[in-house]
Amino acid sequence: MTAAALFQSALASVPEIVVIIGACILLILGQFVRKGQEHLLVWASVAIVLMAALGTLMLASEVRPAYTGMFVADRFAVFFKFVFYLATVLTFLLSRKYAEIEGIGSSEYYVLILFALSGMMIMASAIDLLSIYVGLELMVLCTYVLTGFLRRERRSNEAALKYVILGAVSTGIFLYGVSLIYGLTGTTQLDGMTAAVTGDPLDPGLLLAVVFIVAGLVFKVGAVPFHMWVPDVYEGAPTTITAFMSVGAKAAGFAVILRVFLNPLVAASNVWIIVAVIAVVTMALGSFVALVQDNFKRLLAYSSIAHAGFAIFGVVAGGADGIASVMLYLLIYSFMNLGIFAAVIMMRNGDFSGEVIDDYAGFAKSHPGLALLMLLYLFSLAGIPPTAGFFAKFYVLVALVERGFVMLAVIAVLLSAVAAYFYIRIVMVIYMREPERVFDPALTPMVRTTLAFTALGTIGIGLFPAWFLRLAQYSVFGD
Amino acid sequence: MEFPLLSLIVFTPVVGAAVLMLLRSDDAVRWTALGVTVIDLLSCVAMLAGFDTTTHEMQFTETRLWVPALGITYALGIDGISAPFVFLTALLGLICVLASWVAIDHKVKSFMVSLLVMQALMLGVFCALDLFLFYVFWEAMLIPMYLIIGIWGGEGRVYAAFKFFLYTLAGSLLFLIGVIVLYFHGGETFDILALTAQDLPFRVQSWLFIAFLIAFAVKVPMVPVHTWLPDAHVQAPTAGSIILAGVLLKMGAYGFLRFSLPMLPEASVYYSTPMLWLSALAIVYGGLLALAQDDLKKLVAYSSISHMGFVTLGIFALNLRGLEGAILQMFNHGVTTGALFLFVGLIYERTHTRSIADYGGLMKAAPIYTTFLALFTLSSMALPGTNSFVGELLVLSGGFAANLAAGVAAVLGALLGAAYLLGMYRKVALGPASVGARFKIRDVNTREMVAILPLAVLVVWIGLYPKPFLNIIDASVKHLLTQVHKGSGQ
Repeated sequence: MTAAALFQSALASVPEIVVIIGACILLILGQFVRKGQEHLLVWASVAIVLMAALGTLMLASEVRPAYTGMFVADRFAVFFKFVFYLATVLTFLLSRKYAEIEGIGSSEYYVLILFALSGMMIMASAIDLLSIYVGLELMVLCTYVLTGFLRRERRSNEAALKYVILGAVSTGIFLYGVSLIYGLTGTTQLDGMTAAVTGDPLDPGLLLAVVFIVAGLVFKVGAVPFHMWVPDVYEGAPTTITAFMSVGAKAAGFAVILRVFLNPLVAASNVWIIVAVIAVVTMALGSFVALVQDNFKRLLAYSSIAHAGFAIFGVVAGGADGIASVMLYLLIYSFMNLGIFAAVIMMRNGDFSGEVIDDYAGFAKSHPGLALLMLLYLFSLAGIPPTAGFFAKFYVLVALVERGFVMLAVIAVLLSAVAAYFYIRIVMVIYMREPERVFDPALTPMVRTTLAFTALGTIGIGLFPAWFLRLAQYSVFGD
Repeated sequence: MEFPLLSLIVFTPVVGAAVLMLLRSDDAVRWTALGVTVIDLLSCVAMLAGFDTTTHEMQFTETRLWVPALGITYALGIDGISAPFVFLTALLGLICVLASWVAIDHKVKSFMVSLLVMQALMLGVFCALDLFLFYVFWEAMLIPMYLIIGIWGGEGRVYAAFKFFLYTLAGSLLFLIGVIVLYFHGGETFDILALTAQDLPFRVQSWLFIAFLIAFAVKVPMVPVHTWLPDAHVQAPTAGSIILAGVLLKMGAYGFLRFSLPMLPEASVYYSTPMLWLSALAIVYGGLLALAQDDLKKLVAYSSISHMGFVTLGIFALNLRGLEGAILQMFNHGVTTGALFLFVGLIYERTHTRSIADYGGLMKAAPIYTTFLALFTLSSMALPGTNSFVGELLVLSGGFAANLAAGVAAVLGALLGAAYLLGMYRKVALGPASVGARFKIRDVNTREMVAILPLAVLVVWIGLYPKPFLNIIDASVKHLLTQVHKGSGQ
């Protein structure tokens, strides 16, 4: 690699470099932060992310391939990186008070989130199965640790262990698929794979490889039948980390899925049938099992499975509209899901965990404003207009029908009617029950900012989706 | 650029709701809500005054790009079919505020905000000329209505609210798929007028008709998807029942008129016979159920199913008299049944019972109340001289022309109507005064009178001189009929 090529490669990956170096510096300097000064950590972390965002924005003007076909900084990656930045910054803002209450506010917490962010960013830019693997591992290793960050809580430890074991297995499966692909085509580059294969795309070996890769990847977004870790991990992890994973890690998983599944080689192997089945089953399982949950975090875990299912429908649709619909879905999902998580996180105060749905009984009576925000997020998650959640679903359905998958669209909406039930049940608890306790939500300015920002996104994209839709369509790769 | 009168009408309540949020005292909230609905009603009167009855074209149209990438526009406009309902919605909105003045005693602000948002969305449904916009208004209504039933309703309010929400949601989601399919078949546009001009193959029409039918039939409601209605109507607070019966039920029928008939003419003709039978079934079945009720509100609720059967019967008679009668009957049902729910609410506020068996001889205690109750009861059973007589007569003559047997069944239903309504009135108002001893009854006061009078005037006015009302709808209905006949090749 010549010096000029190296420089170009480094330039293309400036945002990743900024985040990683920033995280390393924070790791060292964080040791000198005295007790009571933890907000400095938050601001430093936010500053690092904002610097990376600035770098991403400045490099967004053109497509920059880098590292000899391992990495690309294109519009698709830029879009996803901004979803990650959004998720990360809001997680930092939510973490300050929560981490203090839980006693986990050391600098490692913030550093690990930054490293996870860098992993996600690499995933969004990776165009080689191996660089995908590197990004993926970087991200999940950090989230394993973060899941178990509540060291004194059994639930948290158990979740982390479960996550590590299942995650390792899925990574192994993914790697096995990659090795098969390499054996058959002689390359791991997504673009090179198609050119290298000469025979029938339905060759059994190739099919096996694709199935392994699909299995490894859908694990990361928590789709059935690889969803078992989701409820336990989401429930056991610190709530801020759950919020971060449900939005950031999931979006990163989808970035990879889109790149890999819509690769001509994979697309030619009729993988969409498998993906369609996964989408239906995932949505059905998420929606139906969520009906009987009493724990708010567990319910949101199943809800996130159901939403992953809906987004996979967009992958099934494929094409420019299909890809754009998944991207828009993830962006909108980030706003509304972080919003509802912000509400759950703010309830954690003193001895009150705020994790049981019945704990919210009559919340509207004493805190009408906050209750209204929760109502907004919940109806958005249920997909009722004029919220953004409706437009997200609507666009996926448009993409499906455009491709002639009308039956799938019907299944998708019927299942989302099932899912609506458990969201409006929470609304019922908040609005239609008598309060049994005095509420004291931990409303710091940072939490307020998060709530305001997510609410703005949830209602704003719902009322004026045009600009965001254009952005998603503009960011689609491959044309 | 014309003055955006329709946007003003639709969004006045939203602005009002935003203002309400800032107020603190309950009385200020009530008066402001009243002011907002009065302004809205006056705007509607201005709209009707400027309405041109000679054309079927959309009037007061406004168009703005909304989501250009998907061909979605913000387009509003009204014709003879929607204009009456815009007016009706605004009128009932005002009456709802009056009806909730003392009946709603907790969370007054939230209630009035929900009520005003609801009104805006309902007006939006009738004004929308873009299918996407229509759907947004249509489905967003679920949110305030869910809250109105669930927070301020009666004993079984939570169950009723869930049932209402899920029924309607499941129905509308299939409609959404239908809309998207229509979008791709109709040249990637959501413009209702452009889609109406499309000539779709019969197979597509047939599927779309069924998808639309599910959504609209739930809203109307037609038998057998009517079971949410008694729960929702009975449990909702008075204002909620008035909205449900007066406006929401009309939306299903409006959907048939605005989408199914003009966009899917061939399928509409093809399915008209089963639709007529379903309508006749609803008329008779709803009547029989009403006959067996002891709860006043339930009785009125089941009578609604029967009355809406007349509406769908008129629509799918697919002739001029049937359609004009159906639209007039939709309006009439809004006025009359809205009034009946108001009356049930008024007496319930005083006695806290809705059981017919608890009443008797109310005539002595509350003569004004019972006099007006008589008027609306007679209107509901379509006595000549009242509004419903004109509508029902038109529907029946249209129905007989289309399908003799269904027409006969409908007449039978009308007889049942006389039975349960007169029976109800006799038990409540006449006979020995069992009420005076048990309850303190006070006759209607000025505020309640203000709510009752406009409805009473409409009942008599349309009953004696329906021409101005029929004039408004005439041109549009004729145009609709030519569309159906042209599209179905008849």
